[in-house]
Amino acid sequence: MKRRDFLKTSLAASALLGASKSLAGTTHQPIDGREVSKMAFPEKKPLITYSDRPPLLESPRSTFVHEFTPNDEFFVRWHLPEIPKHNDLDKYVIEIDGLVERPIKITIGELKKNFEQVEVNAVLQCGGNSRSAFDPIAGGIQWGSGAMGCAKWKGVRLKDVLDYAGLKKNAHWIEFNGKDKAAYYKTPNFVREIELHELDDNVIIAYEMNGEDLPYLNGFPVRLVMPGYYSDNWVKMLSHITVSDKYKSLFFMDVAYRVPDNKTESETPTKRAKKTKPITHMNVKSVIGYPTNGEKVYYNSHVVVRGVAFDSGYGIKKVEISLDGGKTWEEANLKADNGRYSYRGFYYPFKPTKYGKIKLMARATNNLGETQPFAHEIGWNHGGYKYNGIDEVTIEVI
Amino acid sequence: MKKILFGSLIVASSLFAQVKGDIEVPYIPYEIKMGKGFDTVQANCLMCHSFGYIINQGPQSREFWKEKVEKMIKAFGAPITKEDAKTVEEYLFKHYGNGKEK
Repeated sequence: MKRRDFLKTSLAASALLGASKSLAGTTHQPIDGREVSKMAFPEKKPLITYSDRPPLLESPRSTFVHEFTPNDEFFVRWHLPEIPKHNDLDKYVIEIDGLVERPIKITIGELKKNFEQVEVNAVLQCGGNSRSAFDPIAGGIQWGSGAMGCAKWKGVRLKDVLDYAGLKKNAHWIEFNGKDKAAYYKTPNFVREIELHELDDNVIIAYEMNGEDLPYLNGFPVRLVMPGYYSDNWVKMLSHITVSDKYKSLFFMDVAYRVPDNKTESETPTKRAKKTKPITHMNVKSVIGYPTNGEKVYYNSHVVVRGVAFDSGYGIKKVEISLDGGKTWEEANLKADNGRYSYRGFYYPFKPTKYGKIKLMARATNNLGETQPFAHEIGWNHGGYKYNGIDEVTIEVI
Repeated sequence: MKKILFGSLIVASSLFAQVKGDIEVPYIPYEIKMGKGFDTVQANCLMCHSFGYIINQGPQSREFWKEKVEKMIKAFGAPITKEDAKTVEEYLFKHYGNGKEK
């Protein structure tokens, strides 16, 4: 550890110890049980709705009994207000330029015909999923735990397409832009960059989601799929790929989607971390899909707790359930393994033998042994990113 | 069935047409608190985003709202005058604030 880093850490630590609770920043269970809207969006069931322009939709908890999220329940998050009214499949092209031997424009038909079609099952999660867990309230949409989903993505390897265009020797950064536009010319586009070394065979340009065309609001006709990474990299309505040797300074890379660059990735509201890093890979997390908060179940009946668990690709080793507020834990049954980037479904049958309220908890552990902390153990960060606290649901036995 | 309202006060919400046929994103009439500065908020903010985007940030401090307005100007290039920025900040803090300056 560098001396300066040490100083910073110890300062943060003393701030934590010395400050009152509100000064330190705390974390609790995210807001749950918001009602779905009465109004459905195109190709969607009514979902929890935060904004129509740009569209921001969240899946309700009950969605998380599915190991593959139905397309019409899949969350939606756009950054810019002007989304094309119509994408004509015959005319839609992805342009690839920059440090390539041949700049190309490629149609969706050519993508499907000229490259090997591959499938990857992967979780897509907003970096700000569960943001409503942070206190003081972190800036940004106050998502519950439903800004995530898992799908079977089908498309072609980005690597194959880039190889076809021919990467030049000094290629280092790959920049992605989609068709969504801002209202003002001066507003930066939602552009993302990755480094060439982050590119592997699992990174695809996807045109199918769970066996169907992508829903319009999930990026029809094509989006980038980067398994294991938070969704900020999964550019929707992908239309332009530029290869370069230099990192461009971009708002959505430099300012948004970053966490404190320290071990606990946390800071205090009054003493923000000076050094930050991109959120990149997802941490281990699980969400209970059934039962939901407030559900009433009968005494001595057969209750099956169900939900999903995932991480950034190491795979889920176990999911444990607690019926006594986290004092004792028992292993849940894991469902079939659908691939290391996919949800791992879990279920835990039990018979309630006591009347009254029960607090159910689910805790996932991945193959590295990383496990979910309790909500209150998670450090605060001002962007409200990467919350992965042990999920809780309170039901009543009647 | 209740008629879905299309178009908002400033610009119509994006209309979607998919290859399978025309589909449109509904306009949501958010319940917004009326008060001093409301017109300025309407004129400066709705060009880029809905009221939902504002109210779903949760109750926030004056400093938070001030920084948000500044971010819209500096990071996103919104043409908001200094005077309007102050009016918007006052409105947001009064109606969607948490009572804290910082």
